[in-house]
Amino acid sequence: MIRRYLDKIFYGLLLLAGTGMLHACGTAGDADERPAVVVTTMMLEDIVNNIAEDRFSVHAMMGPGVDPHVYRATPNDVRRLDRADLIIYNGHFLEARLAEVLAKIPDRTFAAAEQLDESRLIQAFEFGGNYDPHVWFDVSLWAEVAAHVGERLIAFAPEHEEQFRSNMEAYIAELNELHEWVGEQISTIPEEKRILITAHDAFAYFGRAYNIEVEGLQGLSTQSEVGLQDITRMVRLIMDRNVPAIFLETSVPPRSVQSLINGVSERGGQVRIGGELFSDAMGERGTPEGTYAGMVRHNVTIIVEALK
Amino acid sequence: MALFEFWILLTACLAAATCALTGSFLVLRKQAMLGDAISHAILPGIAIAFLLTASRNTFPMLIGAGAFGLLTVYATEKLQEKGRLKSDSSMGVIFTTLFAIGVIIVTAFASQVDLDQECILYGEIAYVPWDIWFFNGINMGPRPVWILGFVCAINLAFVVSCYKELKIYAFDRQLAVSLGLPVIFIHYGLMSSVLFSTIASFESVGAILVVALIVVPPATAYMLTQKLSLMLAGSVIIGVVSAISGYYLAVATNSSIAGAIAVMTGIFFFLAVFLSPSEGVLIRKWRARAGEKEPGETPESLKTGSLSV
Repeated sequence: MIRRYLDKIFYGLLLLAGTGMLHACGTAGDADERPAVVVTTMMLEDIVNNIAEDRFSVHAMMGPGVDPHVYRATPNDVRRLDRADLIIYNGHFLEARLAEVLAKIPDRTFAAAEQLDESRLIQAFEFGGNYDPHVWFDVSLWAEVAAHVGERLIAFAPEHEEQFRSNMEAYIAELNELHEWVGEQISTIPEEKRILITAHDAFAYFGRAYNIEVEGLQGLSTQSEVGLQDITRMVRLIMDRNVPAIFLETSVPPRSVQSLINGVSERGGQVRIGGELFSDAMGERGTPEGTYAGMVRHNVTIIVEALK
Repeated sequence: MALFEFWILLTACLAAATCALTGSFLVLRKQAMLGDAISHAILPGIAIAFLLTASRNTFPMLIGAGAFGLLTVYATEKLQEKGRLKSDSSMGVIFTTLFAIGVIIVTAFASQVDLDQECILYGEIAYVPWDIWFFNGINMGPRPVWILGFVCAINLAFVVSCYKELKIYAFDRQLAVSLGLPVIFIHYGLMSSVLFSTIASFESVGAILVVALIVVPPATAYMLTQKLSLMLAGSVIIGVVSAISGYYLAVATNSSIAGAIAVMTGIFFFLAVFLSPSEGVLIRKWRARAGEKEPGETPESLKTGSLSV
C-alpha cells in the first residue's frame, strides 16, 4: 500500500525533473556565435548597442518597468551570466546583492558608474562613501559613462576599435547635444516654479545638472516607508510654493504620490499629476521611450509642460 | 549539467538539509514560525551595524543580525515563561516590536540610503555560482556552499550527539527537567543552531525560501511518520527533493528559483496530506469504507500530536 504511493510520488518527480532537464537542454543550444555581453539596465544596453552595433549579442537583465532595487534573477539570467564574456553593471549599489557578487569576478565584469570620479558623484549619506547610483539623469555624466564603457568594449574587442571609436564619438556628441537641449528646456520654466517632486529620490543628478530643485517623497530606496513627517512636510512645501504638478514614476507604485495629492486638496490647495516619468527603468523596446535619448526627452517634455 | 547549475543545486540542497534538521525540532516544539520572526527581527541589527560601520559589507551585517536574532530567541522564551503568553503570541510581540524599531532607525537616520535586509543581507540563490570565496588568492568555490556546509555539519553533529536529550526535550520539557537532563544547555544549543541556520541561509539563499524550508519539509515528514529519527531523515530528504525539483521547475517556467523551490515544498506537503500511509485523507476514507479500525492508533494520540518517544 505504502509502496504504491511512494512509487507514484517517485515517478511523478522523475517526470517533473525530466521535463525540466529537457527544457534546459532545449534552450541551451544557441546558434549565436557572437561574444555575449550581459548588461543590467536598459540604459547600459543603449550605450552598448550604440557603440558596438550588432557585434555582440546583448542581453539586458532588467527590462522595461523593472525596479532594479528589488530585481529577482531568473534561471535564464543565470545561464546568460554564466556564459557572458562581459557583464556591464551600473554599480554604486543600484543592483544591490548582484553588484556585490559581480564585483568578485572583476575579470569579466565592469561597473560602469563606478568609473566616474568621486568628485562628480552625489553622496547619498553624510559619511562613508555611499553614492547615489542614478547617474544617468545628468546627461553629461552619462556621456562620460558611455566613454568608459566604450573604452572597455574596445579593450574587449580591439579588432573593432575603429568602428567602436567612431560610434562612441557620435554617441557622445549626440548626448552632449541632448544635454544642451535639456538645459535649455528646463530654463524655460520660471525659476520660482522650478521644483520637481517625485515618488523616490532618484533625480538628484538631474536637479544638480539642470538647476531645478528636486524633492523625493521616499528615500533613495524604493522600498523604504514613507514617513508621516515626509508627507506633511511635502504638503506644506506644495502649498507654500504653489507647486502646480508632481510626478509619478513608472517603476514605483503611485500610492504615495496619490496620498500627497489628497493631503493638499484637504487643505484647500490644488496640485495635479504632471505625468509619469521614467526613473529606474526605461520604456518598452521599439518605442521612442525605449532608448536613452527618447526617455530623457520624454521626461523633460513632461516636466516642462507641467511646470510652465 | 553545467558547473553553475551544480553550485546552485548544491547550495539549495545544503540549505534544505540545514533548515530541515533544526526545523523539525521547531515544528515539534510549536515554534515553527521562529525563522520568520528572526527574518524580521534582525532589521535593527542591520541598521545599527550600518550606522556604526558606514558600510554595507555583509560581515558587520551578519554580526548585527546575529545579535538581534539572539535577542529574539531569548526574549520570546522569557516572555513565554514570565508573561503567561503562548509561544506564538510572545514571538509575535517580540518580532513586530523589533522590526518596528528597525523601521524607525532606518527612516530616522538612514533614509537616504538603500538600507533594508531584503537588499543588504538576504542573498539570491541565483547569484551563488559567482559569490566566490578566495582564500589566499585561491578560488575555493562559492562562499555560500562553505558557509552552509559548515552550519549543516554542526547541526548534524549536534543532533546526532545529543539525539536522546533533544528527543525528550522536544516532546516533554518537564520530563527532561525531572530526568536531570541539562535542559538549559540543550535549549540554547538548539536555539543557537536555529540562529546559525537561519541567518546563514538568509545570507545565502534569501528569506522566503528559508522560512519555507524550516517549516514545510518537517511538517510534511510529520504527516508521514511517528518516529523522530524517521521524521528528521524524511524532512531532510523531502527538503532536498524539493530543492532539486524546484530548481528544474524554475528552469522550465523561467521564474524565481527560490520561489519555485518553496512551491515544491508546498506541493509535497499536500501530497503527504492526501497520500500519507498513516493519516492521509485517502487512507482514512478507504479505511472508513472498509470499516476497519487499526488498533494502537487512538484518535487521542493524533489530537495531541505526540509521537512515540
